[in-house]
Amino acid sequence: MIYHPKTPQEAVDLRKEHAGTAVYLAGGTDDLRLGGAAGGKDLIDITGFDFNTITEKDGKICIGALCTLQDVIESDLVPAFIKEAAAFCASFAKRNSATIGGNIGLRRSDSYMAAALTAADAVLKTVTPHGEEDKAIGEYLQSDCMRLIEYIVIDKDRTGWVRRFGNTSSSHAALIAAVSGGRYALSASGSELAYGTAADLADHMTFVDDMTGSAAYKKYLASTVFTLGR
Amino acid sequence: MELKCRINGEEIVLRAEPTARLRDVLYHAGCRSVRDSDDAEGFAGSDTIIFNGKLKYANFILFYQAEGAEIRTAESLMNGREINYVQKAMVAAGIVQSAYNAPAAALILTWLLEKKPNPTREEIKEVLSSIFIRDAGYEHYYLAVKLATELRDFGEFKSEIAPSFRPNLEVVGKPCGKIDGAALVSGEPVFVEDKVPENAWCLHVLRSPFASAYIKSIDTSEAEKLPGVAAILTAYNTPETHYMQAGQGNPEPSPHDRRLFNMKVRHVGDRVAGIVARTPEIADQAAALIKVEYEPQGAVYTVEQAMAEGAPLVHNGEVIYNAGAPADLAEFNKLAGDKREGKVVYQFPLGADIHKNIAASNKGGIGDIEKGFAEADAIVERTYQTSQIQHTPLEPHVCYAHIENGRLVMNCATQVPYHVRRIVSWVCGIPENKIHIIKERVGGGYGSKQDILVEDLTGYAAWVTGKPVYYRNTRAEEFYANSTRHPMRVKVKMGGKKDGTITALFMEVCANTGPFGNHCLTVPMNSCSKTLPLFAVDNMAYDLKVFYTNTPPAGAYQGYGTPKGTYGIMMAMAELADKLGVDYRTMVEKNHVSEGYMLEILKGLGEGREGNVVPVGSCGLDEAIAKGCEMIEWGKKEVSEDPDWKIGKGFAMIMQGSGLPGLDHAEAIAKLETDGTVILNSGGADLGTGLDTISAKAVKEILKLPMEKITVVSGDTDSCVFDTGAYASSGTFFSGNASLTAAKKLKEEILKEAALQMNEKVEDLDVRAPGEVYSKATGNAISYADLSHAAIAGDGRGQMVAHGSYVTTASSVPYGAHFAQVAVNVKTGEIKVQKFYALQDAGTPINPEIALCQMYGAAMKSIGHTLYEDMKLDQDGRCINANLTDYGAPMIGEAPDDFKAVLIDVNDEYGPFGAKSISEIACNGAAPAIGIAIHDACGVWMRSWPMTPEKLLRELGRI
Repeated sequence: MIYHPKTPQEAVDLRKEHAGTAVYLAGGTDDLRLGGAAGGKDLIDITGFDFNTITEKDGKICIGALCTLQDVIESDLVPAFIKEAAAFCASFAKRNSATIGGNIGLRRSDSYMAAALTAADAVLKTVTPHGEEDKAIGEYLQSDCMRLIEYIVIDKDRTGWVRRFGNTSSSHAALIAAVSGGRYALSASGSELAYGTAADLADHMTFVDDMTGSAAYKKYLASTVFTLGR
Repeated sequence: MELKCRINGEEIVLRAEPTARLRDVLYHAGCRSVRDSDDAEGFAGSDTIIFNGKLKYANFILFYQAEGAEIRTAESLMNGREINYVQKAMVAAGIVQSAYNAPAAALILTWLLEKKPNPTREEIKEVLSSIFIRDAGYEHYYLAVKLATELRDFGEFKSEIAPSFRPNLEVVGKPCGKIDGAALVSGEPVFVEDKVPENAWCLHVLRSPFASAYIKSIDTSEAEKLPGVAAILTAYNTPETHYMQAGQGNPEPSPHDRRLFNMKVRHVGDRVAGIVARTPEIADQAAALIKVEYEPQGAVYTVEQAMAEGAPLVHNGEVIYNAGAPADLAEFNKLAGDKREGKVVYQFPLGADIHKNIAASNKGGIGDIEKGFAEADAIVERTYQTSQIQHTPLEPHVCYAHIENGRLVMNCATQVPYHVRRIVSWVCGIPENKIHIIKERVGGGYGSKQDILVEDLTGYAAWVTGKPVYYRNTRAEEFYANSTRHPMRVKVKMGGKKDGTITALFMEVCANTGPFGNHCLTVPMNSCSKTLPLFAVDNMAYDLKVFYTNTPPAGAYQGYGTPKGTYGIMMAMAELADKLGVDYRTMVEKNHVSEGYMLEILKGLGEGREGNVVPVGSCGLDEAIAKGCEMIEWGKKEVSEDPDWKIGKGFAMIMQGSGLPGLDHAEAIAKLETDGTVILNSGGADLGTGLDTISAKAVKEILKLPMEKITVVSGDTDSCVFDTGAYASSGTFFSGNASLTAAKKLKEEILKEAALQMNEKVEDLDVRAPGEVYSKATGNAISYADLSHAAIAGDGRGQMVAHGSYVTTASSVPYGAHFAQVAVNVKTGEIKVQKFYALQDAGTPINPEIALCQMYGAAMKSIGHTLYEDMKLDQDGRCINANLTDYGAPMIGEAPDDFKAVLIDVNDEYGPFGAKSISEIACNGAAPAIGIAIHDACGVWMRSWPMTPEKLLRELGRI
C-alpha cells in the first residue's frame, strides 16, 4: 500500500495510524536498499512536499528535509563542514536521491549527518501527531519515530570540522566526529550519538564490536580524534 | 498500474506493479543497459539512469514514481547503430572489458560532459563515485574523458592512448579497440540474462543454515503440491555421481568430493534443495514449505582448528582412487563414518588424508636447506596470514538452460565452456554430443567463472524437468555459496649473508579450501611455483598442506595462489634485508633469476605431476625494477608536513605463467567464406579480456584482411573446437597461438588453391591487403572473394578451412615489479596509497590499451585485498558482510592518487607475436609492496591482510 498524504500533518497521522506497518518514503536509499525498512511495509510517500529548498533568513540556514545530500553539497549557504559531512555518502548517484531528513530520520548510528548537525547545534523543525515542534537532534533521536522532519535549521556562519573513519569511502563508518563552536559530537557504529561541550565524550560512551571494527578501536579513535583535529 | 513517462525522448505507456523497481521495469521494457549488480544495494551503479535530469540508481525508484518522468538510459546514446563519442572514447581507452556496467558508465560520463564540457579530474572522480569498476580500474576513465573531448572538438583522438610495439606489424601491439567494444558499451543484449525468455522457469536454491550438519530428513511433499512447482531436487532424488566444480583439465587435480546435493551440509549456504518454479515468488513459497530436519555437527573454520587433534572431520566417507591407490586404502576406509558423508574420489594421489582434514599436500625442494641456513649470517622466520576474499564480478553467476531438439542447450557466463559441458555431462548422465554450451559475454569472472558453480544444477534441472530454467545468484550468494580466494597461512624462513646473498629459503603454506577441494592442490602449489622461481637460490624447499573447513567454499581467483605466496616471500625478504642491514633493492637485485637460469625448483611443482625444468626465458625483471625505482625515487625519504602522517615506499618483484605447459590445449578453425571474408571459430573463452580481438588481429596480420572482414566466434561448443579454457593466464598464449596457427594454415590453403587457380607455383605467391593473393613472379593477383567463389563452385575443390591446434612444453613467464608509496597516520592507523606503479613485462602486448587497463584493474583488486576486503564469519560460520558495502569493495575513492601502469618491452620466443600473459600477474604485487612501504613509513611489519587501520594501531601498541 502506498499512501500519498497531502500535508505533512496527514503524513504524520498516517504514520501514527499505521505504526509498525508503514514507513515514510523519501529518497529511498535506505528504505529500498536490499531488504530495507520498506520490505513488506506500507509506504507513506512524502516526496511531494515542498520542504526541499535551502534558504537563509535572519542569520539562519533552513535546509528542507527533502533536500538531497547533493543539494546540500551544492548549496552556497550551507557551512563547509556540513557539506563535508554530506559528502561522506561517497556515491554521487546515491547523493542525488538520499535526503538529509532521511539520513537523520533513519536513526542510524553511522548517520552521515547526525554528528555534524549536532555539533552545529542544529534544530529540527518537526511535525508530530500533536502539531509542530522544534527539537535538537539528540532529543529527536530519543523521541518516537512518528514525527516528520520538515527543516533543519543551523546558524549561517557556523564553522567546524568533521572527520570520518571507515574501511573504505563507501563502507559504513566506524566513527564520525564533529566539532563546532565548542560543541562536540560523535557517531560511533553501534553506539548512541554522543555530544556535549567537553571533548571527553568517549569516556561516557559504550562501544560495541561490529563489522566496522572492535569496541576498543572505536573507543581509541573516539578518545583521540578531538586532540588530533581534522 | 499504468503510467506515462518519457524514455529516451519517447513518450511511453508502461504497466507494472506500483512498487516494482524501476530498474526491473526498464529492463523488461527493452532498456537492457539498465542492469543490476547488487540487488538494490546502491553500490555498483549498473542500474544508473538519468531521472529528471539527475543521475540516480533505478533500483531506488519505484515504478509509480516514474509517472511523467523524463528518463534516459544508455540506449539514448546511440545514433541508429552508431555509438556516441564518449562510448567510442571508452572503447579506444581500453576500459570496455567485461563491461557489465560499461553502458551505465558511458551514460554517466556523457551526462558529465553535457554539464561540464571540460571537466576536471576531481569532477570526473565525483561522478564515477557512482559506479563500481572491478575489471579495468579507474585510471583510463580519465583518459577516456579526455579522448571524448578530443573526438568532440577535433573529430579525432589527439592523445596517446597506449604505447605501440612492433612497428613491423599492423595491428598487433597497437591500440585498436576491442572488436566487441561497441556491442558491450552500447548495452546490446550480449549477456546470459539477455537470452532468457519471459516463459523461463526459475531455479531457487534452499540453503543450509548450519556450517556442518547431516540432513536427517527432508519433506518436500507440501512444496511439491504448490501450483507452479515443477520439481524439487534434493540428495534423495538426484544422482549419486561424485564430481567437483573446478574447471580444470581432465583428470582433475581436485578430489571429486561432492554431489549435486549432499546428505551432509558442509557450510552455511550449502545446497539443500533446488526448486524449479514458474516464478521466484512461487519458489520462495515452496522453499518455506520444505521441512528439513538437521543433525548439527561440529565445525571448523580455520586451518588451525582443522589440524587440531580430534577436530571435527569435514569429510569422513569412503575414499576411492581412480589411479595410484595406496596399499592401505581398505584399512583407511574402515574408519569411514556415517554413510551420509558421501565419498571422496581422487583421480590420482594428492597427498590427502581426510581423517586429518587434509585435502591435499605436497613438499619438495632443491639443494640442502639445512646447510643453507647454517651458512646464513641472519635468518628470519615469519608467518603471514591472508583472509577470505570474493571476486565480486559485476555480473553474478548466472545460467540459462533449455531443451532443444532433444539436446540440453545452455547459455553460460563461463571461462571454461568445454569443462562445463563435461561436468554437466557427468552430472546429467548424458553424452557430450547432447549438450550445447554457448558462452555469452562474461560480465566479470576473475577465476570464479572457471568453476562450474551454477551450471551443474541449472543444466540438471532443465534436463530432468524439460523446462527452460534460469538461475542467478543473489549478491549475497556470491559471497557464501560461490567460491572465494583460499585464505592462507604462509610461513617463510629465509637465511642470508651480510652481503645480501640468500642462502636458504623455505616456505610452509597452510591453505583453507573450505568444504570442498576445488583447486585444493593447485592454488597452494602456485603460491610456491610462482614465487620460488623468482629466486636464484641454491637451497629452497616448500611444504604445503591444504585443509578442509566449514567456511564458504574456495576456488580459483585471478593470481591463483601467487598473491599470497608473493606477499609472504617478498615481505620476508624485506624483513631479512632489514635484519641484515642490507638495502632491500640491492637484495632483490642480487637474488633474482635472469635469462638462462635453470629453474630446477620447478621439478616438484607440477600440477599433480612432475613439473618441467626449464631455463628462464625472456625476462624484463631488471628493467622493471630499475625503471620503477627511478619512477618512485627509491631511496629518497619523503616527509609529510603533518607529523602524524609518515610516508614510506616499497616494491615487490612478481611473476606468473602463461598457461600450463604440457596441460593446456587450444584449438581454432579458420574458414575463408564465400565472399573472401574470414570467420575464425576459437575454442578460447573471451571473458572481457580482449581474447577475441587477439584472435582477429592474428588473422589480420597473417591474411592482410581488414579487421571488419574478420569475425571471431568463440566458446561455443557446437561450432568451435576444444580449448581448455581461459584460466591460468592461458588466453593469449594458448588460444592466441591456436588462432595464429589456424590463420597460418589457412594462408597455406589459400596459397595452394590460388596456385591451382592462377596456374602459378605456391612459392611464388603471397597475400597482401586488402585480401588478395598475388604472384611475385608474374604480378597476377586474385582476390580472396574470387578465389573462394571458384573454390566452392560446382567444380571447385571446396571451402578453404584450416584447423589450428596449440600445445607446448615451453614456458613463457611474465615478470614485473610493483611499487607503492603510502602515507600512514600513526595516530589513527589510516593508510593511503599515494602512488602505485605497476611495471610488467608482457612480451608483446597485442592489445596494449587493454593490457594497461587489465594491469590497473588487477592492481586495484589487489590493493583492495591488501587493505580493505575481508569476508567476516560469525562464530557459526555465517558470512555477516555478504554485500559489497560491508565487504569493503574498493571504489574510485580508494584508487591511488598517482597510478601508473607501464609495459616493459620484451619479445618472447614462444608467445604469439612474442606475447606473454598480462593480467593475473598484476594481482601479485600490491600486498608486499604496500606492506614493505608501511614498514618504511612507520617501522611496523604488517603480517596479515587486510592491513586495516585497527591492525596497524595494534601493531603500534595504541590499542
